Amino acid sequence: MPSKKSPPSLSQSFAVDHDKVIKQLGKDTLMEVLRKMLLIRNFEMRGEAAYQQGKVGGFFHSYMGQEAIATGAVQALGPDHWWAASYRCHGLALLLGASPNELMAELYGRANGNALGRGGSMHLFTDRLLGGFGIVASQVPVATGAAFALKYQGCQDRLAVCFMGDGATAQGTFHESLNLASLWKLPCLYVIENNHWGIGTAIERAVCVPRLAEDRASAYGIKGYTIDGMDFFACYAGFQKLYQEVLEHGAPVLVEVVTERFRGHSISDPGLYRAKDQLNKLMKRDPLILIKEQLMKAGIIDDDSYKALDKEQRQIIMDAMKFAEESPWPDAVVLEEGVYAGQYP
Amino acid sequence: MGQVVEFREALRQAIDEEMERDSNVFVLGEDVARYNGAYKVTKGMLDKWGPGRILDTPISESAFAGLGIGAAMTGLRPIVEFMSFNFSFVAADQIISNAAKMHYMSGGRFKVPIVFRGPNGTAAQVSCQHSHCVETIYSVLPGLIIVAPSNPYDAKGLLKTAIRCDDPVIFLESELSYGDTMEIPDEEYLIPIGKANVVMEGHDVTVVSHGRSIKACQEAVQELTKRGVSVELIDLRSIKPLDITMIAQSVRKTNVCVCVEEGHFFAGISAEVAFQVMEHCFDDLDAAVERVCQRETPMPYSKVLEAETLPNPSRITAAVTKALKAAGKGGRLCHLH
Repeated sequence: MPSKKSPPSLSQSFAVDHDKVIKQLGKDTLMEVLRKMLLIRNFEMRGEAAYQQGKVGGFFHSYMGQEAIATGAVQALGPDHWWAASYRCHGLALLLGASPNELMAELYGRANGNALGRGGSMHLFTDRLLGGFGIVASQVPVATGAAFALKYQGCQDRLAVCFMGDGATAQGTFHESLNLASLWKLPCLYVIENNHWGIGTAIERAVCVPRLAEDRASAYGIKGYTIDGMDFFACYAGFQKLYQEVLEHGAPVLVEVVTERFRGHSISDPGLYRAKDQLNKLMKRDPLILIKEQLMKAGIIDDDSYKALDKEQRQIIMDAMKFAEESPWPDAVVLEEGVYAGQYP
Repeated sequence: MGQVVEFREALRQAIDEEMERDSNVFVLGEDVARYNGAYKVTKGMLDKWGPGRILDTPISESAFAGLGIGAAMTGLRPIVEFMSFNFSFVAADQIISNAAKMHYMSGGRFKVPIVFRGPNGTAAQVSCQHSHCVETIYSVLPGLIIVAPSNPYDAKGLLKTAIRCDDPVIFLESELSYGDTMEIPDEEYLIPIGKANVVMEGHDVTVVSHGRSIKACQEAVQELTKRGVSVELIDLRSIKPLDITMIAQSVRKTNVCVCVEEGHFFAGISAEVAFQVMEHCFDDLDAAVERVCQRETPMPYSKVLEAETLPNPSRITAAVTKALKAAGKGGRLCHLH
C-alpha cells in the first residue's frame, strides 16, 4: 500500500525551538493545553464506545491522532476568529468553547444538544465555529466568505481559519476559493490536515503533487507551508507565525499540517487498507506522547500528574455521557421548527 | 405619482434602495460591475457604490455562491447574481447543502440572509443548457424561499423584501422580461413573501401560474373572455412558501383549476399546486385539474420546437376549455373547439 513513511519535505516547515515555546507559554498554559488535548482524546474514545453501544448514530469521524493541530491553532490565534471545519469537527468545537455535555447530547440526538439534535456528529457549531461541514471541501468557499466579511467590515485583527482534509484539495471549490481569496486579498488561513487518506484512498493516488500546500500555493500567488502536525509545539509556533503573516500581508496563506488519523475514516471503517504494524509505528508519534515527553523533560509534569489529568478528563466525558443519557429526546412537535429564520404567512 | 420603468430598472432600484438603507448589502457576480451586468440590471451601480460593494467575480459559481453564504452567516447581506440560473447548478452544493440547511442544521445559530437572483428559464433560442427552469429543483429543498415576479412592479417590491429576508431566497427573473415596461410608484413599497396576487378576478375557472408564463396566461384570458369565459388568474409571486390559502379560496368559487408553468410536467410546480388543490378542495372540484407545462425534453434550439414546448396562449386556452367541458361548464363557451 502506498503511504508516506515520513512527513513530506518540510522545506518551509518551521524549525521549532521547544524550550522557547515552553518558556513563552509557561506551566499553567501548557497544562491547560495538555488538558484540552486529553479532553479531546477522551471525548473521541468514549464517543466511540457510546457509538458501539448504539447510543450514537450516523457517522462518527474521530479526531484521534490529530489533536495537536486544532489545539495548536486555537492556542496560537485565540478563539475570536471565524472557524470552519470538515465533518471531523469534535475537537475544534471543544476548543472553541462548546461544552462536552452539549456535544455529547448532540451525538446522542437529544433536545439540548449543540444543534438541538438536528446536526449530529458532523455538524457542530459555536458562535465562532461556522460548522462542521458534511460535504468534502464545502466549507472552503464559506470560510472564504467569512474572511470577505471581516475585510468588508474593516476588521484588522481577525481572520477566517478553514480546516480541511487532504482529500479536499482535489475538489474544485478548493481551487476556486484560493484563486478568489488571493485575488481579493482575503484574510483567510487555509489549513490542510493531511492524514494521508481520503477514506481508503491514499493521498498519493488522489493528488498529483506530494506537498499539498508548498507545491500548490504558488499557483495562487500565495505562500505555502508544511508543519509537523503530531507536535503541538510545531503547530503552535507555526500557526503563530502564519497568523501574523496573514494579518501583515492581508492575504491568504495555505498550510499543510502532516498528521495521522489513528482510526478509520469513520467508525464504520476498519481501516483494512492500512497494515497494523504500520499504524503501530505511526502511533509512536502520538501527539499526546510527544507533548507528554516535552512537558516531562521540562519538569512540568510527571507520570502521576499526567495520569491524574487524564483521569479528570475521562471523568468529565463520563459525566457528559451521563448528562446526554439523561437528557430529553426532542419533542416531535418541534420537528418543523427552525427550517427558516423568518416567519412567513 | 408614478414612473414607467423597465423590469431591469425596477430591480436596479430595489437593489439601490436597499444598499442605501443597509451598508451590509452588496452585489457580487459575473460581469455585474464594469460590464454593468449581462442584462444591465446593475447598470451604473459600480460608479455609484464602488468596487467594495459591487464586485465582479471570476467564473467560479461555486466559490462566489459559497463566499456569499459565508458572508451572510457572518453578518452581511449579499446579493449574488447568476448570469443565468442554469449556472447555479455549478454551485448546487453550496446552495443546497449550505444555504438551505444551515439555519436548521446549526440549531438556529446561523442564519443565511442571501439573495440568489438572475434569469431563469428560456430566453430566445439559447438551447438545452441555458433554458432550464430551476424552480422545481430548488422548491423541494426546505430552507429555501423561491420567488418569481412576473412584472416590474412585483419585481421591485419582492426584491426589496427578499434582500431584507433572513433566509436564502432564490429570486427568479426572465431574460425575455427585462425590457418589459410598467408604471410603478415613486414611493417606496414592499411586497410580502408568501402571498399570491389575484391578477384578474373571475368566476368560471382559476388559472394559477408564475413568472413569465403569466403573460401567456393573460393573452389566453383575453381570448377566453371573448368567448364568454370568466377567468380568475392567480400569480403565485412566491412559489415557496406557496399561498395555497388564496388558491383554495379561488377554486372553491370557480370549482375548476388549471395550472400553467414554463417548467416541466414531472414533479413540477403545477404538480404540487394541483395536489394541494386536491387536498384542500377535493369536494369543490368539478373537474380534474389541468396543467400546461413544458414537454419532457431539454429545451430545443429551433424556434419552431421551442414555441411548441412552451406554454403558449393556445395551449392554455385548450386546457381551460377541456377543464370547463369536463366540469359541465362547456355551455359558457361561445365557440367550442
